[in-house]
Amino acid sequence: MRGTLIFAGSSCPDITDKICHNLGMARADAELTQFSNGETSVRILTSVREKDVFVVQSGSPKINDTIMELLIMISACKGGSANKITAVLPYFPYSRQSKKKSHRGAITARMLANLLGVAGVKHVVTVDLHASQMQGFFKCPVDNLHAEPLIARWIRRNVPRWQEAVVVSKNAGGTKRVTSLADALKLNFGMVTTDKKRGPGPSMAASMISYPLDGIEREPVLDPISNQVRTNYSSEPENGTSATDGGRSQDSRTTADAQGSPRMRANGTHSRNSAHRKSPPRRSQTTLSQSSVIDELDEEADGEADGLEYNDQRAHEVTHGRLVQGHIVPDDFPSPATSVADTNVPDDDPMTLSHASSFFAPQPHALGGSGDVGASSDEEDDILKDPKVERTITLVGDVKGRSVFIVDDMIDKPGSWIAAAETVVKRGRASKVYCIATHGVFGGDCLEQMQACDCIDTIVVTNSYPIPEHKARNASKLVVLDLSFLLAEAIRRNHYGESMSPLFQHLMD
Amino acid sequence: MSAEMANEIKLISGRSHPQLSDKIAKRLGIEVARTISLNYSNQETSFTVGESVRDEDVFIVQSTATGDVNEGLMELLIMISACRTASARRITAVIPNFPYARQDKKDKSRAPISARLVANMLTTAGANHIVTVDLHASQIQGFFSVPVDNLYAEPSFLRYIRENFNAEDCVIVSPDAGGAKRATSIADHLNTAFALIHKERPRPNVVGRMVLVGNVEDKVAILVDDMADTCGTLVKAAAVLKENGAKSVLALVTHGILSGSAIETLNGSVLSALVVTNTVPLGDKVDRVSGCQCIQSSHVD
Repeated sequence: MRGTLIFAGSSCPDITDKICHNLGMARADAELTQFSNGETSVRILTSVREKDVFVVQSGSPKINDTIMELLIMISACKGGSANKITAVLPYFPYSRQSKKKSHRGAITARMLANLLGVAGVKHVVTVDLHASQMQGFFKCPVDNLHAEPLIARWIRRNVPRWQEAVVVSKNAGGTKRVTSLADALKLNFGMVTTDKKRGPGPSMAASMISYPLDGIEREPVLDPISNQVRTNYSSEPENGTSATDGGRSQDSRTTADAQGSPRMRANGTHSRNSAHRKSPPRRSQTTLSQSSVIDELDEEADGEADGLEYNDQRAHEVTHGRLVQGHIVPDDFPSPATSVADTNVPDDDPMTLSHASSFFAPQPHALGGSGDVGASSDEEDDILKDPKVERTITLVGDVKGRSVFIVDDMIDKPGSWIAAAETVVKRGRASKVYCIATHGVFGGDCLEQMQACDCIDTIVVTNSYPIPEHKARNASKLVVLDLSFLLAEAIRRNHYGESMSPLFQHLMD
Repeated sequence: MSAEMANEIKLISGRSHPQLSDKIAKRLGIEVARTISLNYSNQETSFTVGESVRDEDVFIVQSTATGDVNEGLMELLIMISACRTASARRITAVIPNFPYARQDKKDKSRAPISARLVANMLTTAGANHIVTVDLHASQIQGFFSVPVDNLYAEPSFLRYIRENFNAEDCVIVSPDAGGAKRATSIADHLNTAFALIHKERPRPNVVGRMVLVGNVEDKVAILVDDMADTCGTLVKAAAVLKENGAKSVLALVTHGILSGSAIETLNGSVLSALVVTNTVPLGDKVDRVSGCQCIQSSHVD
């Protein structure tokens, strides 16, 4: 293409070369180094005057260096009188910090959008933003491409009997993404959800979990019935004990929610018959805010389970499992702790408490700042790994004997993927599990763990985020789809002013 | 600073230089605000302010540690942004060691003016005011659309020289033409002689030939500069001074970045001492450089 230059950031020379190959041109020369003090140095080695410049940069383990490099490259091109600069970001960094989740957290994604604007970007091309609302953060036009047609095509070509498969979301927040793929392939979809904290006190919960022994010294109330009929008061320390009876896994639930949470309902009148439930959740170490949510969730689940009296079909669609240390355990698995360690509620009123503890909880995940409550797996993953906490995982939808596609936008931490895969296999008796995401970020030893998981058969990601070769080589389950054609086409259409819409359409081949 | 205003100051410290923030807080008689900074597994930085900053005058102290410049800068931007969204009244970024200060001009075709980019980034993130120390070029102040206070380490240097040397025995030497103004200013205050070393610099961090202008014979030569990075310049300049008959040579430098093999270079040099301020976190470098001393500059504000 005439008058076009494509520069590659240091994070992704491979995909840039593929894009250039698709466009039949060579990558433009730039020298990217660091000074000895760690400052990034950029030298643009060809003239960019009046050219249409594209800078391709993805994420890397040194994400902040990558961002600075991108900004300086853009700035250098702008200073070199480029006509128009387009940032091509297959993986948009900080996209999970797209809203103010905790008090006084930063909306880093918006800030990054502004920084790109300041550096001189006139157009942004990206793929599968974590939240598509982020397009509104930019003052310049944004093309948010979808990898979905690519993924759908891979499924149609490579999955045997894909027509019978089920698309499953591993959390409630990602359901929209999942339904979209299910619609495109005309498949059924399901959902896996873990009881997880929500509401005002995630961090409160976390801070209390870290003192599990407090409650053991207290006198446990061993009568589950009394727990059941008890009304919950707000902020009453003497009420702060409750217990599970460690031995039995039957019978009514014991609640750990005795302490005052302002959101707590009176539990007593709600007589539950847990016979519906295969495994009554006996949570230990749960704390007030968490348990209040668990209550609600369980009631939803109860509601659905109750529905079976009236609706046969729903009966086998809801499956529960027990999750200990991030893995599904059989029903008779001993509970990780036999006494509920209800931490005593300090006398502070809940607001103060949440302020005091929420930001200084030992578990850093509680601090938020990332992701969506519904869609991110970050904090969820940390809770999953807590050996003291048992959680209930619920599968909605029938996956028996079918292939399952677990879909999300990125794979960063393995916990929720493994838990979801184990649920659909061990509980739902799915035949095969495909973990599918656009961005294979694979933080830490995520890829190794997923490779080692027996329940996962295939991991499908795109090359939007560079995966180190030595890692990819050892992961036999990993399938990497090539995005370069999509990006090349986006660049070409941008340059010639053609419509982007065909890139969003599914090609039925 | 009056007592009633002190209540409104919120001092926030980045992770790069907590010691400096502690000293500033101590001097102001306030406490550093509680904050949490952390990196996710994919190394994205997350920051949360632990207390209300609504309608407060927020000062964010972040120096940039050697090797972690981009980390420090991104953290600073995220901190500013977090305070902005948390309705702070005014946000002042206290950046003792301004990053990318040396990339301040288009000295070659298509060279990025990264210092201006950083300036724009800071204002975009939401900084209303910048406080920094000894900018490499004062013109960087013009890159900002917000007020910039460029403080000088000069008073600290003057005090140090007066306390440790007889001013008449000293010659203040600038290791390059660009720093001549800084050196003459100190020489004027001390009423001492002044000398200049001209250097040719073919590439960044590489020093070519050096020529001494001025007389340093039988004097204590004090090299004055704004930053000591790889220390190539300083060491070569010291050698030139020694050849020209200086009694001893020491260096007074504001920002002790000391990257790469700086420490080995220094230890193998004729410099009797390197004096830096605490604008840059030095870690254990102070112990590793023989004769390295650190003077305080925590009285900013």
